[in-house]
Amino acid sequence: MMEKAINIFYMGKGGVGKSTSAALNSLFLAQKGFEVLLVSLDPAHNQSDIFEKNLSDTPKQIIPHLTAVEIDQDHWIKRYLKDVHNQINRTYSYLTSFNLEKYFKVIKYSPGLEEYALILAFKEIRRKYLQHDFLVFDMAPTALSLKFFTLPSLSLIWINHLLALRQEIIKKRELITKVRLLKKEIETDKVLSRIEDSIQEYTTLKELFEDPERTKINLVLNPDLLSFAESKRIVNGLKEINIFLNQIIINKILCDSSCKHIEKGLRGIPMLQAPFSETPLIGLDILTRFLKENNDIMMRQPLKILMNGVK
Amino acid sequence: MMSFLTRIKEMLVETWKVGDRVGRGKAVEAVESEVEEMENIFGILVLGSFVGMPSPPMQISLDLMPYMEKELILMMEKVDTANEPISQLFSIFNIG
Repeated sequence: MMEKAINIFYMGKGGVGKSTSAALNSLFLAQKGFEVLLVSLDPAHNQSDIFEKNLSDTPKQIIPHLTAVEIDQDHWIKRYLKDVHNQINRTYSYLTSFNLEKYFKVIKYSPGLEEYALILAFKEIRRKYLQHDFLVFDMAPTALSLKFFTLPSLSLIWINHLLALRQEIIKKRELITKVRLLKKEIETDKVLSRIEDSIQEYTTLKELFEDPERTKINLVLNPDLLSFAESKRIVNGLKEINIFLNQIIINKILCDSSCKHIEKGLRGIPMLQAPFSETPLIGLDILTRFLKENNDIMMRQPLKILMNGVK
Repeated sequence: MMSFLTRIKEMLVETWKVGDRVGRGKAVEAVESEVEEMENIFGILVLGSFVGMPSPPMQISLDLMPYMEKELILMMEKVDTANEPISQLFSIFNIG
């Protein structure tokens, strides 16, 4: 099956309006007739409040063509650890797995699985909804989002080193069996096959993140200096792992705000300027009205590029 | 007469086989301990967080862990001999 779903990520400093921008973009696309799924990957979910709906792990319809879901990170960590636990119980002898119980109790509280939980959720969503036109992701604050995007590259560095060492071990083992028993070991090494599977998985993810046709990363920022400074760090952090931004959304612009410093500092990335809304953008009606009032902005800027070639 | 000769032949074959096995065993002894050492390094690299070593991203360790029972046991065994690396080396090379 062709994977046609395009990922749109919304990143940025806390409070700049990532969630609202993601919600507006999803609404806009759905109103144009595209099939859209809005996914909140932010552990502190906002979409329920924005749409005034009780969202959960199972997608709920907001308007025709638009469904929304909020990912429960803890649930994914627990599910993953349970899978590993079961797998260990299946493959280890009773005594070893019995001795490992105490380690597992500790692992439950280990850091560093948050971003992997998001990756697992992301993979599942892509697998389930690949026939949608757009998957809009409302991301977590900067640190966790950057970890999310760097995870495949970082894991690949580690796992390629492990692969080299494992291959060396297998070569030597084969030599031993050959000399001892005059035949080659036919048994496949399970660790090696798992390593190869992981390489495949991480490479696919890395390519997906790096492909500007399938993954659009939108950076939301405000005209203030703090969010600008953090945005520059995001741009550079992503550039290091070969991921480039699709567009910058300068949000909450008041009539007197100057965006010159942003235009100068982040040259080369398409920019969209969204005005400050006097009324809080909460509730479907207000969001729709805001979209109508600013229709020209939405149509003029890179969203148009986005829609080319989709329908 | 024939059966006597056959018995001698069998004995010779048996001796040859034992000699062959011993020879082959001896030939790979050092390589075997090298592999064991490498497997231990692999174990420590992947599962090092359990013994306080810097380790790869948690999910890599956890993904591989179900297939690494042997390495895990080896790691635990190595802890016992870790205090006498020289005597271990001597026993590998049959010194003393």
